[in-house]
Amino acid sequence: MSRSFLFRRWQLYVMLILPMTFFIVFKYLPIYGITIAFKEFNVFKGIAGSEWVGLDVFKSIFSQQGFYTALRNTFLLNGLDLVFGFPAPIILAICLNELRMKMFKKVSQTLLYLPHFISWVIIGGMVYQVFSTNYGIVNLVLKEIGLGPFPFLSDKFHWLATYTSVGIWQGVGWGSIIYLAAITGINKELYEAADVDGASRLRKIWHITLPGIRTTIIVLLILKIGDMVDIGFDRPYIIGNVMVRDFSDVLSTYIYRIGLESGQFSIATAVGLFQAIVGLVFILGANYLSKKTTDEGIF
Amino acid sequence: MEKKMKFSTFDVINTMIILLGVVICLAPFLHILSISLSGTGPIMSGKVTIFPVELNFEAYARVLSDNSMIRSMLFTIMLTAVFTASAMIMTTMAAYALSYANLKGRNLFMFIIVFTMFFGGGLIPEYLLIKSLNILDTMSVLILPGLISPFYMIIMITFFRSTIPESLNEAAEIDGCSDFGKLFRIILPLSLPVLATLSLFYAVGRWNGFRDALFFITDQDLYPLQLKLYQMVMNNMISEVTLSEGTNAAAVKYLPESLKAASIMFATVPILIVYPWLQRYFVSGLTLGSVKG
Amino acid sequence: MLKGQQDAYNLNQMTQGGQEMKTLKRVGYPVFILVLCMAIVAGCGNSGGGNGAAPAEGSDKKDSGNNKDRVTLKVEVFDRGNSPEGVTVTNNEMTKYVQENFGDPNNIDVEFVAIPRSEEINNLNVLMAAGTAPDVIFTYNQGAAYSWAKQGGLTDLASAIDEHGPQLKEYLKDSLQYGVFDGSQFAVVARRVHLQKYSSIIRQDWLDQLNMPVPTTTEETYETLKAFKDNKLGGDRTIPFAFALAPDSYEPVIWSFIKEQSDEARYLRSVTIGSREYPILMDGHKEGVQFLNKLYNEGLLDPDFALDKDKKKKTENFVNGHSGLFTFDTGTAFGGESSTVAMLEKNVPDASVVPLLPFTDFEGKSRQPAYTPAGMYIMVPSFSERSAEAIKYLNWMAQDEVIQFMAFGEEGVHFDMVDGFPVGKDGDVGAKLLYNSGDMLIVTNGIDFGSAEKNREYMARMVQEKHREMAKQSMEFSDKDAVQQPIAFDKPLDSEAKYSVVMLEKYEELLVKSIMSSEANFDKTYDAAIKDFMDTAGNEVFAERKAAYEAMK
Repeated sequence: MSRSFLFRRWQLYVMLILPMTFFIVFKYLPIYGITIAFKEFNVFKGIAGSEWVGLDVFKSIFSQQGFYTALRNTFLLNGLDLVFGFPAPIILAICLNELRMKMFKKVSQTLLYLPHFISWVIIGGMVYQVFSTNYGIVNLVLKEIGLGPFPFLSDKFHWLATYTSVGIWQGVGWGSIIYLAAITGINKELYEAADVDGASRLRKIWHITLPGIRTTIIVLLILKIGDMVDIGFDRPYIIGNVMVRDFSDVLSTYIYRIGLESGQFSIATAVGLFQAIVGLVFILGANYLSKKTTDEGIF
Repeated sequence: MEKKMKFSTFDVINTMIILLGVVICLAPFLHILSISLSGTGPIMSGKVTIFPVELNFEAYARVLSDNSMIRSMLFTIMLTAVFTASAMIMTTMAAYALSYANLKGRNLFMFIIVFTMFFGGGLIPEYLLIKSLNILDTMSVLILPGLISPFYMIIMITFFRSTIPESLNEAAEIDGCSDFGKLFRIILPLSLPVLATLSLFYAVGRWNGFRDALFFITDQDLYPLQLKLYQMVMNNMISEVTLSEGTNAAAVKYLPESLKAASIMFATVPILIVYPWLQRYFVSGLTLGSVKG
Repeated sequence: MLKGQQDAYNLNQMTQGGQEMKTLKRVGYPVFILVLCMAIVAGCGNSGGGNGAAPAEGSDKKDSGNNKDRVTLKVEVFDRGNSPEGVTVTNNEMTKYVQENFGDPNNIDVEFVAIPRSEEINNLNVLMAAGTAPDVIFTYNQGAAYSWAKQGGLTDLASAIDEHGPQLKEYLKDSLQYGVFDGSQFAVVARRVHLQKYSSIIRQDWLDQLNMPVPTTTEETYETLKAFKDNKLGGDRTIPFAFALAPDSYEPVIWSFIKEQSDEARYLRSVTIGSREYPILMDGHKEGVQFLNKLYNEGLLDPDFALDKDKKKKTENFVNGHSGLFTFDTGTAFGGESSTVAMLEKNVPDASVVPLLPFTDFEGKSRQPAYTPAGMYIMVPSFSERSAEAIKYLNWMAQDEVIQFMAFGEEGVHFDMVDGFPVGKDGDVGAKLLYNSGDMLIVTNGIDFGSAEKNREYMARMVQEKHREMAKQSMEFSDKDAVQQPIAFDKPLDSEAKYSVVMLEKYEELLVKSIMSSEANFDKTYDAAIKDFMDTAGNEVFAERKAAYEAMK
């Protein structure tokens, strides 16, 4: 049986030759760099020439309170993104899909993903102009209608909301594209049948559209969970400020802070390795759970 | 399908929500646009919001008369096209093969690939690899290391599995279709939306990416546009830099804000056009036709 | 070189079209794969190799062909992405000048290597790890220089300087000593000519309206700021003291409160972060922060100052006429038409400013920080075999006529001498030569005309004529009672390097929390913040400072 599959399906393996070569050459050949986490890395001696220090780097990281705070905040910010940021593009895609005016639909899709193209450095400056407590545009408007001012940037709990919303604003349009593509794949006959039954729009969304993109949602969710411990540098660093550091200090900024001058590579690699292991466990776990409960997964 | 163009409350609310979203998303872009069209004085005084003050087109004239910008733009367009095409070929091959649930060794292959999403060697080993492959300072270095994104590959696998009906697969196999034949004649035509989406993702990723070029490219003829832009925006922004460099930095000529903004617009608009163009492939109803044919 | 990729591209087009599949089928899949392999892997690899190796081969040939002794000296240059059209940082009129006037006579090919300014340390680290870093590298980042020295990656240049650098030694004088780490001359440290750090200006027209004199003591300044606020001279949004979370805002205030002067105090009760000295434990530091706390609580500072790290809002407040007192990095507020003062005058036609020394210390002096006379760190990696040529290059650059050319160009072509000072010609004549002159002329930071007065005069000439006298006076003020910082130890301190970012963040936290606390809570907040600073980094750093100080005594 196995021989016959291999034989019958040799073309599939041929197709995999180049991709696997790619992964081996570009991803696995340099992977020895991980050993930096166990060495006192000296730029001039190179990776092989640097001295082994065993688990010293990890010990020093795990003994610092700052690391745990950063880890907690990474989960906190990523958790907020998961709860609010993950569903947002799905909802937007469905809303866009329900638009009747073709032209408006096309134009608004394009405009909604504009923020994806603005770099965080520039967004940072704008966020300050828009949200600062005393002279930010939002608070000036709110003042006109007798509300506020709200410390969007200077109180750490308000800041969490600001951080999450800015993230949604920046990524929602872009993120919806993939769901729009998935919605396109839904068999139109299903909608036609529902029309015959006189189903309402919301019912069609609930019973046809959502199940139609279910697999995509689950797979993206699994991937997202695998990224729970990984967080970009720019967004928390640029939107964060001194007053909210209790929440804005995450693993990426932690690496920047403790590693800038000294042993940057060893510490960064060690934290990276930690993140990788947690990430792998998360994604395998999420995949396993998903397989069990929904029979969908990436493996 | 939409024979009766009746607008319900649902439509009105929905349209309003989208319209609000559009306004919020458009505003910052207009802000950058107005800065690119304004005079230095109003910009420095913080008077430019979403309308230009002291309207002028000088910044654009400067960008467009700069040959190195134009050359960089052409190079980046070519780079993006070549990269996207190569990446799509590689990704499609891998995704197609791995979309077979009963492919022997599939889980092993998948694990090998997923593993690389988390574990990597870091900058220095990568640099040494690229140096030993002799592709430093070539266009290849901007193409090869990013050919397959495991993330996009998984998305493609998902689409192959969920949008292509099992019946179709079986029919093709009974017809004696080979795997390559099936991929090109049945699967790909059915997967236009995901192909378009992933092409867009790859293209935008390449267009906006510059970190690799920052380390692997020194030949300024091979600078992607975004790298030039990054240099412009970042190098003038670090206030710490101007401080410690004192008069040396003062002796370095800086670029006006409007020029930076104009360059940002110049570098962003071409890639923005790609999506509206790709939208044509977001057409549904292909499944039916294919089964019949 | 694009042929390979072109093939891949065509192939892709073909397969996507789908029509050509039949042809492909006939030829057979192995061929298809082979083509793909070649197109994607071999094609790029080969063409890449050819392209990558070409320049190197070219220069090798030159080496062996023209002259056996001819060598290549690779020199770092910052790329700030600001090259004028048609030139690059590695190939412009200045690089040609260097080749013709230094390279050719000495049988050296000078090859410039562009390092992106914003990623210089990462970039250099990678190049060092690969052993391909330039022979002459430089940075303003003291921490990076220390760390490379500590890892044994730098060449001791003492003997090379003795042998090949007499002119250089003569020119650099004292600044050379800043490049000695642990007894070895690991860096050539450039000279810094202008040592003034901060200056202040105040709105003269506001003072006139209130009939008040220019304040000369901290107390008077406080009263003046209050009067600005009470009379709402900047409208409802009056922010009497333009203040940001930036050194140019807090350093002038805090230093004026410091009561200690001795070296011992500075070794044992300040820390050095980057190139700045923070007198955090010195007598008077707390009072300085408390004064800011008072200003904040009385509404004399920008309530959002903690968000304004890039000073953008601070500048905006001042040029739009909301602020009265403005402290700044010397040399930045006066200038051409887009300078802060010019912008203010344009936005607020009645506005006029006057330079002043707003803060006085316990002795009535206007104690203020100043730069050490050291500029960037120029180094030669240990794997380089060109340390002699590197020093020859710097030695050549340290000549008066070379400095003059690299700073101003050629007389009559790029500049004219007016009253003994070079004045750039109008237009862009010097653009392709001088646009990054500060990054090419690395042996000095600023041009020395021989005396402090002449240097001020020269700096003032870059300012709009109507502001020249003011600019000169402002610079004179900046020199008054200035204290050079920081005091360097004879070897780098590990803990200080390790905690530099941590300390800066904690220090900013201390400032923000203490300044923004209520006056009643100030003591508690300040003490807690100091404790936090000490616990996270301070204790370790001060212990090492103490040990190093004892050892040095």
